Amino acid sequence: MKTSTKSLDWGLNAQRLLAVAVLLAIWQVVIWSGTLPSMTPGVAALASSIGEAVASATFWSALAQTMAAAVSGWLIAVVAGTVLGLLIGSVRVLDRSTSILIDFGRSFPVLALMPVVIMLLGATAQMETVVVALSCLWPVLVQTIYGARRMEAAVVDTVQIFQIPAFLRFRRVLLPSATPFIATGIRIAASISILVAVGVEVLSQTPGIGRQITLAQQAQRWDSAFAYLFFAGLVGWGIASLLHFAEGRILKWNRQTND
Amino acid sequence: MAIQAALEEEQVATTPLLQVQGLTMSYGVGDSENKILSDLNLEVNDGEFVSIVGPSGVGKTTLLRCLSGLIQPRSGTVSVGGETINGPHRDLAVVFQDYSRSLMPWMTTLENVAFPLQGRGVGKKERNETAENNLAAVGLAGQGHKYPWEMSGGMQQRVAIARALAYNAKVLLMDEPFASVDAQTRFDLEDLVIDLQASLGVTIILVTHDIDEALYLADKVIVLAEKPATVVDVIETGFGDHRDQVETKADPRFAEARARILHRLRDH
Repeated sequence: MKTSTKSLDWGLNAQRLLAVAVLLAIWQVVIWSGTLPSMTPGVAALASSIGEAVASATFWSALAQTMAAAVSGWLIAVVAGTVLGLLIGSVRVLDRSTSILIDFGRSFPVLALMPVVIMLLGATAQMETVVVALSCLWPVLVQTIYGARRMEAAVVDTVQIFQIPAFLRFRRVLLPSATPFIATGIRIAASISILVAVGVEVLSQTPGIGRQITLAQQAQRWDSAFAYLFFAGLVGWGIASLLHFAEGRILKWNRQTND
Repeated sequence: MAIQAALEEEQVATTPLLQVQGLTMSYGVGDSENKILSDLNLEVNDGEFVSIVGPSGVGKTTLLRCLSGLIQPRSGTVSVGGETINGPHRDLAVVFQDYSRSLMPWMTTLENVAFPLQGRGVGKKERNETAENNLAAVGLAGQGHKYPWEMSGGMQQRVAIARALAYNAKVLLMDEPFASVDAQTRFDLEDLVIDLQASLGVTIILVTHDIDEALYLADKVIVLAEKPATVVDVIETGFGDHRDQVETKADPRFAEARARILHRLRDH
């Protein structure tokens, strides 16, 4: 059994590598065909500029700045969104009265708030963190509310019949039952955090990967702009994979019961 | 003195443990009012095994939810040990039909069984010990570390029974508990419940649509019919403590009672 899953993994990994190789090949063919502007880097140029970026201190400090803003904004959103969401989702009156606010908030284009936040805080790392936090809050909040609301009827009955006290009910029933939803919200928010952090840097010239991309573009260094883009994507993907892995371990029961 | 004691004893014996008087239940109001139960009366004595049988949709689950205090009747009372209930009660435990959903998948089997005790503030060591003993009583000794989703349907239902037993209530209410398991598992679970009832002396009220099951398990079968539902017959089975899936069901009294219930249900 174990060997078969292992060999399957090998096959899967080979297929994934093949997909990447095909994409790179198409990229190179397009470059050769001359349909893209001549400044677009080929695979080799891209590889060397990625190597160059990794070797430079500018890259690492830009990456650290972007990550710091993204992660801190994301953490604020996770804590605030989970606490608020559990409260709103489990208290009927709150749920009903806040639903309009939440529907409005989640459809609000948070990037448009950026100029206002810049007015208040300037083009600083704090401003970036605030915008990231505001963007990440909604998926966490909305998912947590769903999770807290949607307790199985049979579980609700069971908790009532055995007269489980409120705090124990919250800790051992409501919270675990909502966790799969909260985890999804946290995962969505993580991708958004990198996206928004880089976006804010591009738009406001706050230090970080986004600013480096703009600078490279202004210096006509398309190859290093592409290298930074590649890293922005890599970081997003890395975080998402990490969270997915953590979720699989912590929420083993959820995957099993959904089979 | 002797006469006095005998009278008292008789008094105790005839006071039902669970009593339902004039129970009426409906959903909605005015023109859209849908009456489910109408002026329903029944009595269950201490240590008795009572089946409530009736066709699907007659209102058996609604009745059981009233008995367990999960819903409040429109009028009438449910009392346990002489005390009228107005919500879930310490002396009432329930085994739900939807066992796979009523067990919590994020808890191990042992934690599930111990959870009601935790709710009552029983210490960890004691509640785990009680849970372990009750798991053993339903034939799941040493399986406490498993999660419900690692078990078959029949085993999950055993866990749900163990949880209700661990709560140590006077009355065990069971809502179609064996409706979603295969026939052989069903027979095993029926015999398990009979054995548990004999050894623990717990009072059981079991709701089912299956006439054979109702007769095979119970000392007393209450037949529900009509719309809104009411009690149309009460049958004492008189099979005693010893039951056997083959012998008991071949007993002439079994066939007779079965025919009587079928007639009752057809006439309404």
